[in-house]
Amino acid sequence: MSAGTADRAGAKVAALAEALVHLGAERADQLSGAILVVPRAAIHQAAATAREHGFDLLLDVFAIDWLTYPGHGGPRFSVSYHVHAVAANERCSLRVQLDDGDALPTVTDVWPAAAFMEREVYDLFGVVFEGHPDLRKLVTPEDLEGHPLRKDFPLGESPTLFNDGRFLDPATFRAGMIGASQGRTGWIGGARKGVLSAAIEADGKGGDA
Amino acid sequence: MKLERGRTAVQEMGRGALALEETGEFETKLMRINVGPQHPSTHGVLRLVVDLDGERIVRLTPQVGYLHTGFEKTMENRTYQQVVTYSNRMDYAHSFGHDLAYVLSAEQLVDAKVPERAQRVRVLLTELNRMASHLLFLGTGILDMGALTLFFYTMRERERILQLFEMVTGVRMNYGYFRVGGLSYDLPEGFEDKARAFLDDFPKMVEQYADMFAKNDIFVNRTKGVGVIPPEVAIANGLTGPSLRASGIALDQRKAAPYSGYEDYDFDVPTSTAGDANARIMMRFAEFEQSMKICRQALDRLEPGPIKDPDRRISLPPRRELETSMEAVIFHFKLVTEGFHPPRAESYVATESARGELGYHLVSDGGSMPYRVKIRVPSLVNLQSLEATCVGGLFADMVVNIASIDPVMGDVDK
Amino acid sequence: MGLTDVFEKDVMELEKDGILFSTLGRLVAWGRSNSLWPATFGLACCAIEMMQSTNAHHDMARLGSEVFRASPRQADVMIVSGRLSKKMAPVMRRVYEQMPNPKWVISMGACASSGGMFNNYAIVQNVDSVVPVDVYVPGCPPRPEALIYAVLQLQKKVRGETFDEAGIELPMVEGWAR
Repeated sequence: MSAGTADRAGAKVAALAEALVHLGAERADQLSGAILVVPRAAIHQAAATAREHGFDLLLDVFAIDWLTYPGHGGPRFSVSYHVHAVAANERCSLRVQLDDGDALPTVTDVWPAAAFMEREVYDLFGVVFEGHPDLRKLVTPEDLEGHPLRKDFPLGESPTLFNDGRFLDPATFRAGMIGASQGRTGWIGGARKGVLSAAIEADGKGGDA
Repeated sequence: MKLERGRTAVQEMGRGALALEETGEFETKLMRINVGPQHPSTHGVLRLVVDLDGERIVRLTPQVGYLHTGFEKTMENRTYQQVVTYSNRMDYAHSFGHDLAYVLSAEQLVDAKVPERAQRVRVLLTELNRMASHLLFLGTGILDMGALTLFFYTMRERERILQLFEMVTGVRMNYGYFRVGGLSYDLPEGFEDKARAFLDDFPKMVEQYADMFAKNDIFVNRTKGVGVIPPEVAIANGLTGPSLRASGIALDQRKAAPYSGYEDYDFDVPTSTAGDANARIMMRFAEFEQSMKICRQALDRLEPGPIKDPDRRISLPPRRELETSMEAVIFHFKLVTEGFHPPRAESYVATESARGELGYHLVSDGGSMPYRVKIRVPSLVNLQSLEATCVGGLFADMVVNIASIDPVMGDVDK
Repeated sequence: MGLTDVFEKDVMELEKDGILFSTLGRLVAWGRSNSLWPATFGLACCAIEMMQSTNAHHDMARLGSEVFRASPRQADVMIVSGRLSKKMAPVMRRVYEQMPNPKWVISMGACASSGGMFNNYAIVQNVDSVVPVDVYVPGCPPRPEALIYAVLQLQKKVRGETFDEAGIELPMVEGWAR
């Protein structure tokens, strides 16, 4: 086990957590590092506070769709702001929970680096960031409807067709592999080649040999 | 200086001439130019919309997504071991770096104990790949400035490294050699000697053309003082990696939060204070030396031993056991079909790729496939600094600036 | 050999003397096949191997295909190197249409030929649904040698030395038309 980032939350993060308590922040640490869960209304203020506490490098803004997470209650999305304090070499995440349709204030005025990251979240999850200078799709084509990384957006696999008429639906096949369903492959035009020829041989009719 | 529609070129010129009389400045019309996505100097399918005032860039908007592959969504539908085949195809110039970042994060989830030898081999291959990535960067970077010859030199060295990788993994790119819990299989016989021979040759090979960068008038004049990124701007824009270190901030995850045993290696983090394109490009030469140092140390400490976590729930049993042990067959079958089930948690390990901080944020729901994969890719965030470097500069310098930031479009678009 | 010989001797005798007979179309096709200039259409991983195939070690210049043209208007063959996203597909079609006739397409790598391992919402599952493809190169990514072999196969096709599945000789591209 290599040294991870879990132990990179020290005095700075503790001070930030302390400063955010009056905003209603709670600490919910994970293996990934310290996470401060902030109420949605207070996220911009929390971001500004973090910036004042020396967390000057915004590493990432990302969302998680909890729609199909087993046992998850509460708002559907969470958006995390992963920040790093360069001078102190400490890092933590600010996390905010929100429902579908809720908007977040942009943090591009706190960290200009958020411009692309927020656009990416908007593109892939449909979370709107109010006040963003240029909130457009980032990676998906203009004509793609929906937000691909939402859990209710299909992966969009096309079935694999083999020369002998067998076809394979990847999702069903995979579900079979992990035990979620009986894995099966489909056939176009009746039975499998070998099985069919064996049946004909047993009948004694036909057969090309 | 506004973009006004409905005026003819003659009218514009007349207006410009009038302004010249009044203010002493020739007023010109803005011109909007589209660069890419199919353009030889954008390193892939990057598209830039540039507003020009004469030769000066007034506004620049990068448009990305032309290589959007849906990696994150696809990875959420693959088992933890299968993801390794995807991770390396993202940043195809530094594949091992992506593999390493992913397996470290997954190992944090399952709390795997990676043996010493596996860690050394990982570091060795990742550093060799970092050198290959920098070589590709140098070759294509100077190709953009019109120097074709150097491209052939850097590709010659890269070919040597690729041959080493081919010896280990069987393929030249897109390796998929690391596994959660260790390595896929052991290094082949004779690899260490070949690697040492390469490390001995490499400085001599670089020496042949290092001066063609450092003392080449065309190169120096085109890069010195071009695209300066001050440290505070770099931090504000989220720049990481060699480009940030060229601006004078010694942030390197290998030192800041050592992973995979980097704390045992003796190496420095080179920095430069200039912050211009020249510093960013020459930074790669400085990194060569550090990478070679790490490779040598890794080779010296390479001792025979296990290469996988012995935990049967994570790593496949050895092939020979399958013939004698029914239990091994069951574990093998379970792992290959279903995969392993990490506990519910979130993990993230920051690593230093050739381009900056790289990390996989994995969310596990207790199933055999990750619930959410979020990849913190350096190239996408680094691209935001392009505006800071290009605006106000000459159009021709834009090409240099793109090259010096070293975006890999697979890494940008995911 | 004097000029009179050309009129007096028959074809067989002349060929023995080193004078070859061909049609102008075949001559043009021969010349064309040895100077197939690819367009720089690098998409993903395969683009790196495409670059690598021109290096000193592999040297695609031997076959006259080393001049990568940045402008599609100067190119003969488009090497689709890498996965083609749905956002990029219209761009690729436009680049293809900008190339002058005759033009050929090499689909390099598993992703371009069949979608490869990326069976999802973002990737075009086969390039031949966007442009007609002449040569498919398997591999992920194909080695530079594989690409060079593909260029050799394409040269055969340009010279009209290829056959379809039924064994019928495929016509070469119209070389000389008035």
